[in-house]
Amino acid sequence: MMERRRFLQVAGAAGLGVAAGCAPERHHLRPYVNESDDLIPGIPEYYATTCRECPAGCGLYVKTREARAIKVEGNPFHPVGHGKVCARGQAALQGLYDPDRVREPYRRTARGMQPVTWDDAVARIAAALGTAAASGPDRVALVTGAETGALDAFYDGWLAAFRSHRRLRYEAYAYEPLREAGRLTFGTASIPEYAFAEARYILSFGADFLETWLSPVEYAHQFAQAHHYESGRMARFVAVEPRRGLTGYSADEWIAPRPGTEGLLALGIAASVVRQGHARLAAGADADRARGFLARFTGASVARATGVEEAVIDRVAREFAAAEPSLAVAGGVACQHRAATQTAVAVNLLNYVAGNVGRTVRYHATSPWDRVSGYRDARDLIGAMGRGEVDVALIQGTNPAFTLPASAGFAAALAKVRLKVAFATQLDETAELCDLVLPDVTPLEQWAELEPLAGVRSYVQPTMTPVFEGTRQAADALLAVAAKAGKQVGPAGATTARELVAAGTTPDALDDLLQHGGQFAVAPARPVRLAPDFARLAFQPPAFDGADDGLVLIAYPSMALFDGRGANKGWLQELPDAAVKIAWQSWVEVHPATAARLGIKNGDIVTVTSPHGSVEAQAYVYPGLAPGTVAIAIGQGHTAYGRNAKGRGINPLDLLGADATDESGALAFCSTRVTLARTGRWMEPATTEGSPRQLGRGIARAVTVAGALKGEVEPAPEATLTPSEQTAIAAAAASQRKRAYIGIYAQPNPKWEMTIDLSRCTGCQACVTACYAENNLAVVGEEQSVRHRNMSWMRLERYFHGDTTGTDWDVRITPMLCQQCDNAPCEPVCPVYASYHTPDGLNAQIYNRCVGTRYCANNCPYKVRYFNWWDYGRPGDPYFCFEEPLNWQLNPDVTVRTKGVMEKCTFCVQRIRFAQNDAKVRGVALKDGDITPACAQTCPAEAIIFGDAHDPDSRVSRSKQDARGYHVLDMLNTKPGITYLERVIAATEA
Amino acid sequence: MGTVAEPLPAPATAPPTYAEVTRDVIATLRPPGRKYYIGLAFVLAGLAWGAFCWAWQLRFGLGVTGYQPPIFWGTYIACFVFWVGIAHSGTLISAILLLFRSGWRTAVYRAAEMMTVFAVMTAGLFPILHLGRAWYAYWVFPYPNFRGLWSNFRSPLVWDVFAISTYLTVSVTFLTMGLIPDFAAVRDQARGWRKRFYSLASFGWKGSDREWRHWGKMYLYLAGFATPLVLSVHSVVSWDFAMAIVPGWHATIFAPYFVAGAIFSGCALVVTILVPLRKQFHLERYIQVRHFDSLAKVILLTGSIVAYAYVVEFFMSWYSGNIFERQSFYARAFGEYWWATWIMLSCNVFVPLLLWFKRVRTNLRALWIISIFINIGMYFERWVIIVTGLSHEYEPWQWSYYLPRWPEIGILVGSFCWFTMWFLLALKFLPVVAISEMKEAGPPPLRAGARAGSQA
Repeated sequence: MMERRRFLQVAGAAGLGVAAGCAPERHHLRPYVNESDDLIPGIPEYYATTCRECPAGCGLYVKTREARAIKVEGNPFHPVGHGKVCARGQAALQGLYDPDRVREPYRRTARGMQPVTWDDAVARIAAALGTAAASGPDRVALVTGAETGALDAFYDGWLAAFRSHRRLRYEAYAYEPLREAGRLTFGTASIPEYAFAEARYILSFGADFLETWLSPVEYAHQFAQAHHYESGRMARFVAVEPRRGLTGYSADEWIAPRPGTEGLLALGIAASVVRQGHARLAAGADADRARGFLARFTGASVARATGVEEAVIDRVAREFAAAEPSLAVAGGVACQHRAATQTAVAVNLLNYVAGNVGRTVRYHATSPWDRVSGYRDARDLIGAMGRGEVDVALIQGTNPAFTLPASAGFAAALAKVRLKVAFATQLDETAELCDLVLPDVTPLEQWAELEPLAGVRSYVQPTMTPVFEGTRQAADALLAVAAKAGKQVGPAGATTARELVAAGTTPDALDDLLQHGGQFAVAPARPVRLAPDFARLAFQPPAFDGADDGLVLIAYPSMALFDGRGANKGWLQELPDAAVKIAWQSWVEVHPATAARLGIKNGDIVTVTSPHGSVEAQAYVYPGLAPGTVAIAIGQGHTAYGRNAKGRGINPLDLLGADATDESGALAFCSTRVTLARTGRWMEPATTEGSPRQLGRGIARAVTVAGALKGEVEPAPEATLTPSEQTAIAAAAASQRKRAYIGIYAQPNPKWEMTIDLSRCTGCQACVTACYAENNLAVVGEEQSVRHRNMSWMRLERYFHGDTTGTDWDVRITPMLCQQCDNAPCEPVCPVYASYHTPDGLNAQIYNRCVGTRYCANNCPYKVRYFNWWDYGRPGDPYFCFEEPLNWQLNPDVTVRTKGVMEKCTFCVQRIRFAQNDAKVRGVALKDGDITPACAQTCPAEAIIFGDAHDPDSRVSRSKQDARGYHVLDMLNTKPGITYLERVIAATEA
Repeated sequence: MGTVAEPLPAPATAPPTYAEVTRDVIATLRPPGRKYYIGLAFVLAGLAWGAFCWAWQLRFGLGVTGYQPPIFWGTYIACFVFWVGIAHSGTLISAILLLFRSGWRTAVYRAAEMMTVFAVMTAGLFPILHLGRAWYAYWVFPYPNFRGLWSNFRSPLVWDVFAISTYLTVSVTFLTMGLIPDFAAVRDQARGWRKRFYSLASFGWKGSDREWRHWGKMYLYLAGFATPLVLSVHSVVSWDFAMAIVPGWHATIFAPYFVAGAIFSGCALVVTILVPLRKQFHLERYIQVRHFDSLAKVILLTGSIVAYAYVVEFFMSWYSGNIFERQSFYARAFGEYWWATWIMLSCNVFVPLLLWFKRVRTNLRALWIISIFINIGMYFERWVIIVTGLSHEYEPWQWSYYLPRWPEIGILVGSFCWFTMWFLLALKFLPVVAISEMKEAGPPPLRAGARAGSQA
């Protein structure tokens, strides 16, 4: 196998070698031994599979070139994700090619980790299992992540063969309050399908459904359908949460009740819906029960408890009930305190009285979460292990040693188990505690069959031969162990996970399923009735650990690192936090009032102390917090796991007590009060944020629905200025426009342009990671990120807008990438024509012509040119970032840039040329939509449209005619190729 | 008001005779002492350190510098502009003042001209030093090549290439031309290899009437040729900035502003160099206090233009109503870089005010200290323009802060050492005061008896 580039190198070197007799290395050109019929060098192949970076299970197409996976894209026919992938999904490739992967089996001995053979390992496990099974039932524990489908059944069967049912499907976020609330309100301990797309009014109680909650890509996709502006219509979104995170940024209104009282507020709104006579309840006992129950929650009492004005409660209730249908969801940090189940119940009732149950809240016979273990189950297992009731523990695909609070005592309990086996891809915290570490394959190398939605069978298949020969899928190993122990598990004769997955289908049917990614018939919803059990809950604000005058700690999952599993992936570490915009580091979000009181500024290192522990991290003064709270993201603070994760940042779980749970037994992440103290030290944050305010420059604009209907565009910078200032800028622009003939690129060439609809963009940054994957962007590391030297060709600028002292402000987000200006300031200043204009309207950058004057970057008003300060692509250099096998991921169609040259977004010119060549070869005309840049391909909200602006019927041509369209820094007359459609805020009518 | 300050009269002591001029000036070329070698060793060490810093930067990339996007230019380009600026006063003094028949230039022009050549040689290094891929620096030249590549004549950086190379050529020629009669004078007294060197360097100058006539015309012609360069070269350099759309750079005042600043800083450096030189080589009879007084007046004039330019810049940014300009200049004065801006203003505007006093102008110690301040201030001026301009541009999200790191400081120090090295070497080979022109200023030697008649 050899890439074209490599071939040329070798051919060149061979020629030189003959001439000079000093070829440094001998290379061989070897043909494929068994050539694949459908593999054409240079032509990518795609494999349909399912994303396993979180339990949501989005459908994927994985692009491979010459038998290596190089890019993750979405499967457009899959009901989860609809062809879209988030940053974490994109970064699956870095898990696949992680240089820190476990490459062969290891055994822990007194002298440290010693390599063993697979046979040896299998024999040891089989022997231990035999002893364990002989000494009694339930002596074996098998811990996996959330599993559904064929493998899940196999694991249970395997465990049963060894007389055990200690199975833990462990997830740090198992949504127990939602499931428990479903049981209490509707008699089904299941998680419903939330139809965001159909909702006309969305009320979220803390649910970060655009970040990590349940199925964020699918929800982002649906949310954009509901909440984007079109012809005067859009859903309104109100976020009720103590911390306004990325999801809250999309909200048209933010309500921050006292932490823990979100449920009371939901009940107050539900009661107000009933009181105002808007309830949609069929006559009957259920409705009467609901009415009777809600009567307790008078407007005044709720307002007193939550700190939200009665008028606001009544208004939201009115709007919520009037929208048909609406949708309320509970989750995230509003559902992670001691009253979490109550909050979820309250939101269920709110949906019930508004008539949403069965419409936007749809229960199915099952949900993928039904069998996922909760924190309570994890503690049961910890207890059993601690009492010595477990002889063999096998852990696969999950890292409880990191995601459980230290106070839960997992490590100590696990130490009492005789044989601890980890099927691990990296040597993470859990694997470090184990006796046997067996190299598992990553999701892109494995077989599985999942059920991410009731009725949907979604297949996981290897997209390439495993990167490391020594790795084996855990199920394969377990089958081998069973065989060694003389047990028959799974279908007769099955020795691999592939056979487990294939069982019950014919080869032809399986081929078809694998080609499409699965079977996507979503099961029908089933009706539910109000159950009487909910009324027994207390419905009181929750208790918090710690001193009463402390600050409530909000420990929330990091969007990029999730529960910490993304922490060793360079792309995800370098991805700035979607809200705070710090990469690589941990931080403590401090409310501005608290910061003023304690004299804390950004970057000050503070000590956060709770009754259970204390951590130290830099402060970030953040207006998106309820007063009296402090927030820390979960995901950093690893003590193992690999080069990027280990020893980086802090883990807020260290501040939590193990006993803080709610009625469902879920761990209450937000149940602790902490105190803050300055240490007097300071560190420089690795932030991309220059100024958090756009200072009236009109970079990210917004209007209200009413304004958009009238075709208004938010006052550009000019209009906020005095008349004399306006005259001055108009004069400057006019003098520029005299030279408008510059930069008109005529037919018959296409003119590539893009529109970005800010009413769709949520700021999730999936595009950023997709760009890293597609364009071989360097990961520069923390130290260079501190110095603003990230290479991210696409960045999301997040500006606060309005008075941030209260809650009445909004966030403006602009994806900023090369604007491909027609009249580009970067082009004339380059002394060597490295920056030039292609006939089809791209600002090309010729890397091998660039001498590195950096004048182009100085003259670029958008600041979207990135300089190679180091030799990121040269092995041995201090900032080399494509260490074997990470370099296997490199896109062979894109140059890896050398030190000293400028680089930038090219609108994925390699995709443009590929599509053009392909059309030419096939003898057909290029159609609109044949070319999709990586950012547009992955955008869950479909905010980015790309195409030929010379084609009047192309989507981009029509989109840029939108009245909301504007160019950033238009008065510079750069004639950008990107038109932004301004964000629309669904302001309240009241 | 209404009165014009008279130039200081020449001192009452008798002007040096031809023989004295020759003797005194050639004395400066005598084999150097220990102090000289220590100084030379010192600058060579500094140069070596600068060279090491550059080697380090070439090896690892520009990452070793403090550059922090969006600040893509910093200390190196500030050095470039600084050194080009320094170069200008030499040409001003030697060429323009020659055309204006300012007698006081005679004593100082040679040193100023040497300074010009060496400063251009220093300045020319920086556009190469700062490149990401310095080994491809020659690509900016429009040379024929089989790849059909050409340089972009719309880029001010290409204009720079031509401006600097033209300036270097002309100033080297001008210096050499002026040196020919002096070399001949030295040749006549030299022995050994020096005699051969000066014979060659003086092109067989015999001092004939015809030679003097041709030489004089040529010199005048070259002065005329060099004069527009004083204005054009630094204008071109200023367009590196003014042609860009960066707020704080994009201003029509830049060309005159830069030219005035260049002469201002150049004259200051002439003072900085001449004061110790005069003392060391006992040239008090030739380089007199009145010459310094005149230099100080040029400094005062150009300094006032520079101060005016500062005021205009700030005023225009406010008056334009352009929010980007306003923010940029507000940040310049009161933002993160306030310290650099106020160093610049103090050194370039407030300190030179002292030169309004004749007592200060004629006090060489005070003048020397002020000249150092001006040098510092003018370096900061370039740094402030470049760095504060880039730190606050159109995209507020991309605002940032830059400080140089050790390789940049090393190369900055190295550049001073490089310049000083050339100057030190030249002091021992080139007459630092123009022998022939000094003689013109004094009485011609006459046979005994002719004196009375000539005095009549």
